[in-house]
Amino acid sequence: MATFHVVQEGPVNALALNRDNTQVAIGGRNVFKVYTIEEDKFREVCNLRASKHLNLSFSCNDVSWSWTDDHYLATAATNGHVCVWNLTKMGKAMQEQDYQEHKRTVNKVNFHASEPNRLISGSQDGTMRYFDIRAKNAVAIFYSNTESVRDVQFSPHNPYTFAAVSENGSVQLWDVRRPDRYQQQFAAHSGPIFACDWHPESTWLATASRDKTIKVWDLTSKLTLEYTIHTIASIGHIKWRPQRRYHIASCALVVDCSINIWDVRRPYIPFAAFNEHKDIPSGVAWKEDPHTFLSSGRDCTLYQHSFNFASRPASKANPQGVSLNNKGEVLYAHKVNVNNAIVKAAVGIIRKTSTTQSPDQFHLASSLMHQFTESPRGEQSESEIFLGLANNYVLSGRSLSEMCEHNSAVAKQYGKDQVAVVWKIIKTMYGEEYLQNSTSTNREDVVSHNNLPLNNIMGGIEHTNENDQRSRGGDTPVAQFSDETENEDQVDHIAIYSNGFPTYLNFRTGLPKGDFSFGENEIDMEFDTMITDFQSGYRNYVTPQQDFVLPNEAFHLRHEIRNRTPPPDKFPNSNFPVMNDDSQTIPLEEQPQTLLTVSCLPKMPLYDSSSIVLDALKHHAILGDVQTAACVLIVLGDQRKTLNELDESTQEHWLLGYIELLSRYQLWNIATQIIKLSWIPSVEQLNQQSTRFNTNCSKCSKALQRIGWLCDRCHSSQYALCSVCHQVVKGLYAWCQGCSHGGHLAHMRQWFAINKMCPTGCRHLCEYK
Amino acid sequence: MFEAQEITAEHKDLIHDVAYDFYGQRMATCSSDQYVKVWDQNSDGKWSLTSSWKAHSGSVWKVTWAHPEFGQVLATCSFDRTAAVWEEIVGETPGPGERGTRHWVRRTNLVDSRTSVTDVKFGPRTQGLQLATCSAEGIIRIYEAPDVMNLSQWTLQYEVQCKLPCSCLSWNPSLSKMHPLMLAVGSDDPNPANGVKVFIYVYSESSRRWTKIDAITNITDPVYDISFSPNLGRSFHVLAVATKDVKIVNLTHVYDNPNLQNVITKLDAQTVAQFDDHDSTVWRVCWNVTGTILASSGDDGCVRMFKMNYINSWKPIAVLRGDGSQVPNEGHRSSVSSTLGSSVQTASQTARYIKLGAISQPRDVPWH
Repeated sequence: MATFHVVQEGPVNALALNRDNTQVAIGGRNVFKVYTIEEDKFREVCNLRASKHLNLSFSCNDVSWSWTDDHYLATAATNGHVCVWNLTKMGKAMQEQDYQEHKRTVNKVNFHASEPNRLISGSQDGTMRYFDIRAKNAVAIFYSNTESVRDVQFSPHNPYTFAAVSENGSVQLWDVRRPDRYQQQFAAHSGPIFACDWHPESTWLATASRDKTIKVWDLTSKLTLEYTIHTIASIGHIKWRPQRRYHIASCALVVDCSINIWDVRRPYIPFAAFNEHKDIPSGVAWKEDPHTFLSSGRDCTLYQHSFNFASRPASKANPQGVSLNNKGEVLYAHKVNVNNAIVKAAVGIIRKTSTTQSPDQFHLASSLMHQFTESPRGEQSESEIFLGLANNYVLSGRSLSEMCEHNSAVAKQYGKDQVAVVWKIIKTMYGEEYLQNSTSTNREDVVSHNNLPLNNIMGGIEHTNENDQRSRGGDTPVAQFSDETENEDQVDHIAIYSNGFPTYLNFRTGLPKGDFSFGENEIDMEFDTMITDFQSGYRNYVTPQQDFVLPNEAFHLRHEIRNRTPPPDKFPNSNFPVMNDDSQTIPLEEQPQTLLTVSCLPKMPLYDSSSIVLDALKHHAILGDVQTAACVLIVLGDQRKTLNELDESTQEHWLLGYIELLSRYQLWNIATQIIKLSWIPSVEQLNQQSTRFNTNCSKCSKALQRIGWLCDRCHSSQYALCSVCHQVVKGLYAWCQGCSHGGHLAHMRQWFAINKMCPTGCRHLCEYK
Repeated sequence: MFEAQEITAEHKDLIHDVAYDFYGQRMATCSSDQYVKVWDQNSDGKWSLTSSWKAHSGSVWKVTWAHPEFGQVLATCSFDRTAAVWEEIVGETPGPGERGTRHWVRRTNLVDSRTSVTDVKFGPRTQGLQLATCSAEGIIRIYEAPDVMNLSQWTLQYEVQCKLPCSCLSWNPSLSKMHPLMLAVGSDDPNPANGVKVFIYVYSESSRRWTKIDAITNITDPVYDISFSPNLGRSFHVLAVATKDVKIVNLTHVYDNPNLQNVITKLDAQTVAQFDDHDSTVWRVCWNVTGTILASSGDDGCVRMFKMNYINSWKPIAVLRGDGSQVPNEGHRSSVSSTLGSSVQTASQTARYIKLGAISQPRDVPWH
């Protein structure tokens, strides 16, 4: 059995097989032919349109072949004619009857299955006419009382019954002997019904409609809707598949060019589809054999299809779905393998599962969905580790060594030994101790000299450090009382006191280029307040430092604003007098000392660790641990500039990656911290996006123009008061965007914990979320 | 070890896709029964159905979430030749004791395809609201909502012709500005003679065009799913391909002209891993949020998870049996199913906790 086709000169509207399925008649506007169906091709037997004197000014809407006499064909025409053709005759005589009774297009014509010479027609004029081909006129007229009849079909079970469907969505059942009134009528669809088909065995009637459904009705004593098939387009034709109780073929009227075979029990996806037609198919005829059928199409073709070449949409459909979320949960939906379950249950044998189901199990498709959650086994999941690290890392506000030390401990605590080692390495490479050693010893002496008293105070606390063997000198004490790294301390002082020696500075800090970066300092100041609540396990703050913190807090807001101004004038000079108060003589002492170190610098080449560090960071980024890469970059502060080969776009990539992850876990505060600590303009700007708020006066709804809550129209700001306590709101003001009323955040929270309505009594159902 | 929780989806036909949202707190499922369902996770980890609606007039193949900064937005694609964008809106008038009824409205219906739309994915968030669809006729379409506040207006920006029927697509989610917009498309065309089944398209900012880059040349088996790994800091891209096995391909940029670093014309593809553990068709590949773990599912009814270790080689780390409960006591299960008639629909069970069977393969090491 093969698929083959013939091309016609015009669109084909209908086709009809003869009784023994050896010949097919096709009809269309310009086509009316009979073909013999051969093994692998159609052979034209006669062309009823060929004879010139048969000037048929009408087109065939439908063709029907007599079930009892192989010589008779009937056609339904758009001009209302119903013609009967006798294939044994020639020329004009072939047209045996030409009934001109219908006033409008005839949609359907059908021979009676058992009564010879009888046929019925259904027309757009709303009538059905029952003809005896020996008589000149219709023997019975049935008035449907609907606008138009689209299909009319004799029941295969009862010779007197026929079904008619009409454009108003109703189905009528008639008895041919009772033309006065239908036996039964029911509304089947919400749109026009274009076709119906009786089930060859069951008492089912299938109807197809413009509402994109095919419905199967059981017409036994009590009418029931058995199945509904949802299709993607209006259905123009349907035909039950022989010997397959649940299968029905459908052709769409628009959009869909394929012929779909449905299993009515699985009404969502076609059992099989035939996609040969290039335009919409206009009819289907089964060859009394479930594996072959013929179809005609608007694309001027007549096809014979074989089921062997059907496409199976369901087998292409993805039967599984998997999704992972940030908590490490796995969602898995998969097809239940009915095949397996049934076979095993029945026979107890194990059969290999197969994708292609046997047809009788096609309809049993269903899915199971599971969520897999990592069960706690004492160990933490990746996401918990990520959260723990994100929450506990310290990224600013302390000296580099301290931060590295702390972060290393945090990483270790969460079982990330490798990350802990990275932090240690960073500390070793870039910590103050190392830089101290690699630079001037002169300076160290002096500094330690100056700080001896403080060093003594601090000594006992510091000595847990594994780097103790290094010369600590003035290093950590300086860092402590100024809460800054030694290195930066120097930068700052030099920046203040010796602007004339930028090149010296570059040497001193090992930076490749001569720009002062003040970022670290600012950051320190901003985050001093944040950091104070961090409870360090191995470091205590001395009292002078707390004194030092407080003034910073007062400046906090101002510095935030300054942060966005161009760099040169944002140097937080204001801070330094405070520091200098604490550290008294250091700057003055230091300046001359550091100047002296210039001469001996070349002797102390820095070990270039950048490539190793870079490799480590990249390695972690590749492993998906962008957290480490981004955090190390941040902690490195200005030292990151020594990582020559790390271009800014990669840095940006890491920061953005980390921010994205943080926002997935809804760690907004940390994400904001990262953004603020960022040195890359495009990342810094993330905080400034979509920050505009428009406020309206809650009394007159006029947009507030000024800063604050004073309304230009009402000349009062009384409605900016808290709606609960009626006090002026200073600080966080929460308001409903629906009714503009609001007040203190805490008050509003309290209120809406109990109430739903706005506290002002404006009756608005406020939605705070 | 994983604990399995069964979620009774009550879809009337196959579930074709499941998707967690950005925060992993909501999920969406779609099915051949033309319905899309949205679920929310409550505080003790149980999922409750919050919305269910008939989304299409054909099987719904895929469902995908937009980034939450655009609102609660879903896109679906269907056998009915359309893709649709849905937005959840909170009703104005909440019922008593309710926080407002929520329902999903169709914001747009993208009807350009003439065949089944096989995949739909939102573009990277940095690009605003972009949507790519691919269809069985082999056309990739890229839509954009010029105004992110107005989801009902989408313009068809690009139509890229792909010679083979497309089955799946994936945006490269890289956050790096060094990486141009990139799409990978797979084809499930069964004929190996039709050549490569994975196509990489790269958007060129200067020419404003999507151009195909011949990178992957060795995958000629039908491809059922494709997925770029989240790229949070890698300089190269990692692409997972579900075909008859699981393939992991690294794509590295090759710069012809060092002066024009943003104009890439070449990608060097290297298959770094290939797993035939499923020993059957692989339907899905899916990454975790950091791109460290790949999960795949196949006709063997298992989810297999793979992870890259510290020497950059991929290893299987876990196997999750979809019906794991049935393996250890097969006899018991089958007797139950024969009495019930159907082993599948025991509607009374809304959630079961199942201890999964022991891992049978020696190389399947447990996670951690």
